[in-house]
Amino acid sequence: MTTTRTPAMAPRPSPPTGVARRRILLALLLVIGAAWSLTGLDITLARVLGAPSDAWVIFRQLWPPDIDKALDRGVVGKVFESVYIAWVGTIIGAVISLPLAFLAATNVAPRWIRIPVRQMFNAIRAVPELIVAVIFIPITGLGPWAGTLAIGLHSVGTLGKWATEAIEGIDTGPVEAVEATGGRWVSGMRWGVLPQIMPIVASFWLFRFEINVRASAVLGMIGAGGVGAELVSQLMFRNFGTVGAVLGITVLVVLTIDTLSAAVRRRIIAGVARTSGPDTDGDRNAEALRDLTGLRR
Amino acid sequence: MSPGETARPVRPRPRLRTLAITTGLIAFTVFAGNEVGFDASTSWEMWTNPLWGMFWPIPWDWVLDRSNVLDPLVETFQIAILASLIGCGLALPISFAMSRLTTPNRPTYLVCRSVMNVVRAVPDLFWAKLLVTAVGIGAFAGTWALSIFSLAVMVKLFSETVDNADPRPLEAARASGSRHLPAVRTGVLPTVLPEYVAYALYVFELNIRASIVLGLVGAGGIGRVIEAQRQFFRFDRVLGILLLVFVIVLIIEQFSVALRKRLV
Repeated sequence: MTTTRTPAMAPRPSPPTGVARRRILLALLLVIGAAWSLTGLDITLARVLGAPSDAWVIFRQLWPPDIDKALDRGVVGKVFESVYIAWVGTIIGAVISLPLAFLAATNVAPRWIRIPVRQMFNAIRAVPELIVAVIFIPITGLGPWAGTLAIGLHSVGTLGKWATEAIEGIDTGPVEAVEATGGRWVSGMRWGVLPQIMPIVASFWLFRFEINVRASAVLGMIGAGGVGAELVSQLMFRNFGTVGAVLGITVLVVLTIDTLSAAVRRRIIAGVARTSGPDTDGDRNAEALRDLTGLRR
Repeated sequence: MSPGETARPVRPRPRLRTLAITTGLIAFTVFAGNEVGFDASTSWEMWTNPLWGMFWPIPWDWVLDRSNVLDPLVETFQIAILASLIGCGLALPISFAMSRLTTPNRPTYLVCRSVMNVVRAVPDLFWAKLLVTAVGIGAFAGTWALSIFSLAVMVKLFSETVDNADPRPLEAARASGSRHLPAVRTGVLPTVLPEYVAYALYVFELNIRASIVLGLVGAGGIGRVIEAQRQFFRFDRVLGILLLVFVIVLIIEQFSVALRKRLV
């Protein structure tokens, strides 16, 4: 069999103009950024080469985890304290954000109230829980209540935004029906909107609870209650076996809560015929990641 | 009742299960509220606490001083930039290795996937604290921690993009006898590159925020100053730093978001 050549082979298309120049510009920008950062951070070749072995010395000691010591020190109780902080924080966030969301939705709220409420949600989302906790700790003192308030306040931003989006996705028919019978605005919201959004909003609350469990574990590191404090003190005393156990128990509880909560959320959503909002499709973990630091656009 | 009239439907009675679940949730909430120290009588007093006065007035000349705040703030952004570059750079090959579409072989796929899942399950500040213990206090540990965490985030986001990429160019490349690497390079990479850059910018935004709090656990940047002033009870300075930081962060983010919108 012989290979035949196409008689009129089209010439290879020339690359689009300007690409090379832009690539060089981009590469240059990245190199300058890296170089500028390197010089500022006092990073030397010796440290870079030495770091993996330094880290390995520590990480190797995390195994085997010293479970007995961890249980003695009540680590399980601390992890559950983190869970309680996340739960109460989520409820605070939910209770504050739900009424506000009605004032922020394009289809049910007038413009003059909508814009400030939305901006407030954005501003709250921009401040990480840890920073909120730093502000609250001097007022409430160290302990879980500071962490709870921080989580609750921070959750208002994201929960409010999601609930607003859910309200904007509703069928306006029921609201019109309530208005047609002479109902007031509040009645329209209560009987026309709330039944439509409640399943999806409840699943957002649960989802936020999952994120908050992770966040509250970290909050303990600055003294706002929960398991983080235990991690810090065990690292300080260099009890690496216990640190390994603390990490293990935390990850286990976090993953268990994720799985349970995701199952409940699937049940809730499966009951809604017409779903709306950003969370109903796509990967849950990716969504959680997008939100880990409170940023979601 | 006359024939033309319809009766109002009977309101369904709450089911036993609904009641049980509601009671359970309320009981758990009350219990948890008690555990975290919620106290209805004192929760309103805190808003009128005279200690709020410690946050005011903000000493702007101290906050805007170069060596006090601005230099550590620059360090914060340097950590974020470097960690984004390292994390996103490493994420490119690893994402290809842990996508079903482009993985060279099954063991590589499984190892990458499980290691990355474990890395991601540990919160970023836990990583920072571990690395501070390992390589010493300072920006070096912070850069490491953020690099690891942004690698894990980036790999998760981007490997999904690769999973959903159009497999046909890859098949075409393989059919023409290409080896694995050139096939991925010419068949998949060009189609996913815009999303890669968009995610990289997104991870950069995350890192900017994360790098602010890194210093709270000793990993360098502006958080170090916040932590120090917090321990001196100079909350007016803390508030000033935070206001300054958030204005700058919002500006950087607006740029990044605008750039991302143009890409995708």
